[in-house]
Amino acid sequence: MDEKQIKLLIVDDEVKFLNSIAQRLEMRGFDVTKASNGQEAVAAAQSGKFDLALLDLKMPGMDGTEVLAVLKKEHKYLEVIILTGHGSMDSAVECTKLGAFSYLPKPYELEKLLDTLRQAYEARLNKKFQSDQARMDKIARLATGSSALSILREMRKLDDEEK
Amino acid sequence: MVSGVSVALDERKKRPTFEGALPFPEEHYRDLKRRHIIRLGLTYLAPLLILIVYFYFIYTALVTESRRLHLKAVAENQANTLDLFLSERLVNISNLIDDPKFQVPPSPESMERYLQKLISNSDAFVDVGFFDSTGIQTGYAGPYPSLENRNYASEPWYQTLKEQNQEYVITDIYLGFRELPHFTIAVWRIVNDQFVVLRATLSPNKIYEYIVSLEGAGEVLTAIVNRDGYYQLVTPHMGTPLESSAMVPPIEPRLGVEQVKIDGQTINYCYSWLKSADWALIVQQSSMAGGTSLSGIQLRLILISAFLLLFGVFMIVYRSRRLVEFQIESDRTRMQLEHAAKLASVGELAAGIAHEINNPLAVISEEAGLMKDLMNPEFGDPQPPQDLVVHLDNIEESVFRCRDITRKLLGFVRQTELDLKPHDIHVILNEVVDGILGPEIAVSNITVVREYGEHIPKLVTDKNQLLQVVLNIINNAVDAIGNAAGTITITTENTGKQVRIGIADTGGGMTSGQLDKIFMPFYTTKEVGKGTGLGLSVSYGIIKSFGGKIEVASEVGGGSTFTIVLPAKSKS
Repeated sequence: MDEKQIKLLIVDDEVKFLNSIAQRLEMRGFDVTKASNGQEAVAAAQSGKFDLALLDLKMPGMDGTEVLAVLKKEHKYLEVIILTGHGSMDSAVECTKLGAFSYLPKPYELEKLLDTLRQAYEARLNKKFQSDQARMDKIARLATGSSALSILREMRKLDDEEK
Repeated sequence: MVSGVSVALDERKKRPTFEGALPFPEEHYRDLKRRHIIRLGLTYLAPLLILIVYFYFIYTALVTESRRLHLKAVAENQANTLDLFLSERLVNISNLIDDPKFQVPPSPESMERYLQKLISNSDAFVDVGFFDSTGIQTGYAGPYPSLENRNYASEPWYQTLKEQNQEYVITDIYLGFRELPHFTIAVWRIVNDQFVVLRATLSPNKIYEYIVSLEGAGEVLTAIVNRDGYYQLVTPHMGTPLESSAMVPPIEPRLGVEQVKIDGQTINYCYSWLKSADWALIVQQSSMAGGTSLSGIQLRLILISAFLLLFGVFMIVYRSRRLVEFQIESDRTRMQLEHAAKLASVGELAAGIAHEINNPLAVISEEAGLMKDLMNPEFGDPQPPQDLVVHLDNIEESVFRCRDITRKLLGFVRQTELDLKPHDIHVILNEVVDGILGPEIAVSNITVVREYGEHIPKLVTDKNQLLQVVLNIINNAVDAIGNAAGTITITTENTGKQVRIGIADTGGGMTSGQLDKIFMPFYTTKEVGKGTGLGLSVSYGIIKSFGGKIEVASEVGGGSTFTIVLPAKSKS
């Protein structure tokens, strides 16, 4: 974790909460980007690269689940952890279906959040690794019988997905 | 969440004491009972009363008619008897003068014999006299010997006798020379070419005694008046002989019933003219006799009527009391249902509001954690305390946010006595939109548009109950819109007689089948566990108790509009 800063997007309409959690996670070595509503979150997601996201569900304007869908579309390997005060089993299940990594009801213990972040990051690395592995295998297979051009094309794809 | 549950338990504990009390003030029920009594009285007692009065009048008319007939019969009967009596006396006298042995002039001895003969016929005879053609009483037998040899030529009865064709005369009662009331029966004959008269006088007292001894005389007061309306014979109760009578019967018909007012009292009397004399026999219902003979039936009638009325009054009072008891019971049930619905909606509300508490709690947790971090040497030099104040402020603010939320919940759930006061409905609407449902609306995509009308009067109402209704309807509107973007439009309008509060949502609307059922208890379209189905039915009950109504217009896909209609001037 230390060798490379984890890029984290935090989305919450509760500004005081947003500021303090951001500060605390920054102190713990995260590279934090804050968004106080759905639109800001989408904008940030489109312009930057993120490993993980903390997302509130109930927000004015764009709802958390909508933001989740956009984030998952923009970033293939991004893992999203839902943080919400309006916790219920129904919404947890719904979010997991939509591709959220985990679901933490507010208020939570910081240790639990950090654990979850760690697990999410590992999951993301794992997923990325497996994907890369598959790609490498494909390149290797291609290398045996294809032109240099097609190899190059595959490598470019790999780079793009780094995002 | 915890606070919500404890409140519910507290309320449940309070219930038993609440059941003993009246749901509304005692005056309300007294007034209700009074109105029931009046209504039932008008429905049941009034016709009975009319019937009783009607039958009483019919009965009285019948009784009066039968009395008149009875009086008539008595009068006719007595008149006939009296006629017969007078005819007999006339025959007695005629027999004397028509006797072939009758001598002109008769000797004093024969006069004496005639008198004895007359008295033996009837003790009403007083004396007997013989008058020669010049009108001088030449023969006399009786208690007034001084009358002998008096000249009667100018006496009215003598003149009448002389001038008329009839062979006899029966006079009215007069005082005459003897200055005592008496009357005369006189007959004339032509004997030896001379106009001679035999007359006898009769005592009115004896005739009176005779009349009162007749059949049926006990029930009536009898009198005899002459053509000019002077008493001839009379019961002492009615007057004295030769006195003018108030009762002057008409000549025709010979038999009839008349009314006369004496001292402001209407008296019915029956008369019958005699055939033999110019007298009318008058009978009048003896008040004592009439009273007793009929009062028995009247008394029975009155007693039965009184019993019927009393029974009716008793039944009405009893029924009214039962109705009021039933009303109290139903009010109590309704209030309990309202309370249950309130608790249920509090439960729903609590779920929403409890979530609201989690947000400030998360702030507190984060701020506290941040402060710990800031003082942790692991993360660099500890911060000076003044830099921590901002975080403490944030914690404090969040605590107050939590407190406001719990207070709102408590304030809503608390069961209070019905408290009717003038309230500005806009304040109540704002309290629901900004206060109770504020946080929920803030995080939704719902825009609340307020189109408040002008000159909306303050309504005398119970704030908590109206709040409950508005909350129910706006809560439903919020649920109808759900996660989608939508608008809730709240309008108020004063139509003069009514104040209309419209709450329109842009949600999914309802089918006509759903519309028919929404006010039924336990009908809900919400997911299991989310709605109780009591909100609208209770709201409807509350608004009805305020004298208003709830109107609904809805179209599938076109949203729903609920309109609370309240009378502009509420019943106090």
